[in-house]
Amino acid sequence: MDDQPLPDDETLVRQTQGGDTHAFDGLWQKYSPRIYSLIYNMTANHEDTNDLLLEVFAKAYRSINGFRGKSSFYTWIHAIAVNMTINFLKKRGRRFQMSLDDLDTNIQNAKEFIDLTAVRTPVREVDLSELQQRLNEAMMKLSVEHRAVVTMFDIQGMPHADIAKILGIPEATVRSRLFYAHRQLQNYLEEFRKR
Amino acid sequence: MMLDEQDLQKLLRLKRLEQPPPGYFDRALNEFHRRQREELLRRSALQIWLDRFVSGLWSFRVPNYAYGVAFGIFVIAASIIGSGVWAPAGVTTNSPAAQTRVVKTDNSPSRLALSGDLDWSKFERRSAPVSRVVPALQPSQSAIPRYVIDGRPLSHEASFSF
Repeated sequence: MDDQPLPDDETLVRQTQGGDTHAFDGLWQKYSPRIYSLIYNMTANHEDTNDLLLEVFAKAYRSINGFRGKSSFYTWIHAIAVNMTINFLKKRGRRFQMSLDDLDTNIQNAKEFIDLTAVRTPVREVDLSELQQRLNEAMMKLSVEHRAVVTMFDIQGMPHADIAKILGIPEATVRSRLFYAHRQLQNYLEEFRKR
Repeated sequence: MMLDEQDLQKLLRLKRLEQPPPGYFDRALNEFHRRQREELLRRSALQIWLDRFVSGLWSFRVPNYAYGVAFGIFVIAASIIGSGVWAPAGVTTNSPAAQTRVVKTDNSPSRLALSGDLDWSKFERRSAPVSRVVPALQPSQSAIPRYVIDGRPLSHEASFSF
């Protein structure tokens, strides 16, 4: 792919609506990594994430003529992704498998990760990948709605207002879901540390 | 030691580093194009039109001013019908409001009566002669004071005592 700076979202959307398929490739380039991260952190499965990512963009492409620009494309495509992922997870229920093998090498080499585990576990040698796996397990114990909020706020760094728009809920609800989810994650990880 | 909020947020932020292998997004875009082409070949023009129509319906929003206009129309229609200036055809002749009018009779100076299909003679035969009922207000026995000193009642038997 070329490294030319992409036009803004509004232009790309207008061009796509006008029938320019390459313009939609620009939107893919801009948003696919973020949408991938969002779906992956909600499903914890690479194959499911791959399928859902393609479905989300296919749906966005089919529906783009109905996009009137009342919200930003960013909000719109995130809302599609979250809704499709929540529906998928509710259908899937408890039948899932984590597939983290091909993704955890980056995180284990991260300085922040090494610092954190070194400071917090001076006595016991904790396997780094084990802590990462526990965190993912803890995430999977959250309800899909809470997981979505944690993913968008803590992992993707979105502000409360954007999350509220994407989910169509008040900001206060976003905050309360975050509070509850953090408590649950802390409790679960604390149990692991005590073992 | 309890895992505090900051530690948790640090741990969660590290999940940003979980990315697919290099080149994944280019391959996925090619896969997306392939699926799009397949879908176009598979689906008929009618299905494509239907999809676009449905997505257009979802994006349709009623403008805010439409609610105000609808309420205004309702208020105007209600006031016109309610004031009797206009009533829908077919209702005018049979509605109770239209049938009620003041009728003069022999026995009473005036009364409200229904005209139209009702035969008032049946009711006239069975009804008793009109007599004037005058309400009489008199003090109840229970309210009369038993003992009076200097014109003031000292006690009285309450009506609800056993």
